[in-house]
Order: sequence, then structure tokens, then C-alpha cells
Amino acid sequence: MRSRWAPPRDRVRPDVLLRLAVRTFSEVCLTAGTLIVLFVVYVLVWTGVKADRAADGEMARLRDSWAAAAPPTAPAAPAAAPAPAPAPAPAEPRYPAGRAFAEMYIPRFGPDWVRPVLEGTDPELLKKGLGHYPATARLGAVGNFSVAGHRRTYGDPFKDFPRLRPGDQVILKDAGTRYTYTIRGGPLRTLPTDVAVVEPVPPKSPFTAPGRYLTLTTCDPEWGHSHRLVVWAELTGTRPAAEGGPEGSSR
Amino acid sequence: MYGWIWRHLPGNAWVRALISLVLVLAVVFVLFQYVFPWAEPLLPFNDVTVDEGSGATP
Repeated sequence: MRSRWAPPRDRVRPDVLLRLAVRTFSEVCLTAGTLIVLFVVYVLVWTGVKADRAADGEMARLRDSWAAAAPPTAPAAPAAAPAPAPAPAPAEPRYPAGRAFAEMYIPRFGPDWVRPVLEGTDPELLKKGLGHYPATARLGAVGNFSVAGHRRTYGDPFKDFPRLRPGDQVILKDAGTRYTYTIRGGPLRTLPTDVAVVEPVPPKSPFTAPGRYLTLTTCDPEWGHSHRLVVWAELTGTRPAAEGGPEGSSR
Repeated sequence: MYGWIWRHLPGNAWVRALISLVLVLAVVFVLFQYVFPWAEPLLPFNDVTVDEGSGATP
């Protein structure tokens, strides 16, 4: 005769079973909740940490390549004035895909705001910085130099995009030249399929004739993807990068 | 579940606590390194281009 204090394994008391079920269920709930919180931390914080690190790496590589490629324009000899020398190539070769080729400064986003611009708009590239639409014009060239960037996550580069106003400056610096674009139109809310916004003369922009334009795009509901925000700018000045500039960004 | 793991860890309570901590950190590492990067593109924050970059221009 079996004692009551050691029930056989195949005859577990129902209250024990119930306790096991409730405990397992609550453990699963706790685990799921923890997972969700961790994922939110990942999206909000960790992607930013990763993006900042990647952007810093891209910028360091970019500056190294500039220093290696253009010793005559080194800041050590600003008065040597080889100013017309670093003119952009007249032919229009593409930038190397997947590589950073310029830095962007937008004073409206703050004096410390600077991001590398990479060639291509793949999601993988946009994790490291801003992406140049490969089929659009080169920096400073006639046409529409178009750039996409994250509004949220991955460092939130274009978080303050709606604060851009006509008259704001967008400054781009490549190996030899510093291009200042001035915003003329936007921010305009449009649909993701509206590819005309990056055309050489975008239909909805204030521009009517061919020129040296710039387009920035990002997603519109801050955390969504149903629309896009667009601003258009026009080239208003170039000067040798070594001179620096008074626009508020010393670099 | 967690009770089962705890009972199957070797050593006394301190050793088990240490192993548990290591296990938790390992799980978090795997999540951040592999699982979340896979899951994140399923969210809409990556769509910042017009026409997803395919023939975005004339």
C-alpha cells in the first residue's frame, strides 16, 4: 500500500498540475515581456550606438583617404592657394558603391550634426550614414544630388527633418570642395512611389529650369513608412574645403 | 521552466547564480547580435527612400 506522502508519478495531484501550468504560463509571459523590452532597447538605443560607431568609422576612413589622396590641400598650407586645382572631374563617373565620399553638415540640426554620405541607398548602407541615390547627380554637378536618411533608429540622423525651412543651409564637403546648398522648397510630404522628387528638375519643387540641386528624403510618420518627407535645395556656393567656413560648422 | 534550469545547474547556490548570470548575458548577446538585427528590418523604419532605390531616378 502506497503512502499518501509519496504519490506515484503517474497519479500527480490536480492542484500540483494546475500550479505547474500557472507557473509555466507566468514564466512565459515574463519572458515575452522581457524580450519585448530588450527589443525596444535595441531599436531605440543600440541601433544608434552601432550607427554612431559605423558613422565615425566611415568618417575616419574618409578623412584618411582625403589626407592620402590630396596632400597639396592639407590644412598646413592654406595660403598656398592651389584653389582651382581640386575642381570636380568634368566627366561624371559614379562614386564607388558602398563607400562614403562626403560629409554632410546641416546647421539647423545642431552644430555637432555631421554624417557621412555613402553611395547607395541599401538598408545596410543607411545603417552607417546617409545614402546617395546612385542614379542622381554628383556633388555640385548639374542635376539633382539626392540623399536619403533615417528619420528614426540608427542614430536618428533626420529626426528634426520637419524643422528644415527654406533658407537653411545644407553643407557637403568632399575631398577638395565644400558645397553649400540652400533649401528652397519643402518639407513636402509625399508618397513613397513619388520618384519624381529626385528627378533633375523635380515637378513639385520650386525649380523650373535645370540647375545644381539637392534633394533630401526621409520617412514621414516618424516611426512609420507610409509617406516620405522631401526638401529641395539649390547650390549657392562652393569653395575649397581647406578654407573652412563661417557657416557655423568649423569642420 | 526557470526552476527546472536552476535545479539542473551544478554547484551550490552561488555557483548556480553565477552560471545563471552568464547564461542570461549569453542570451542577451545572441539576441542583440543575431536575433534583433534579423527582426529589425521587418519593422518599417528602414523605408526612407522613394521607390526603394530601384530606378529611383530617370
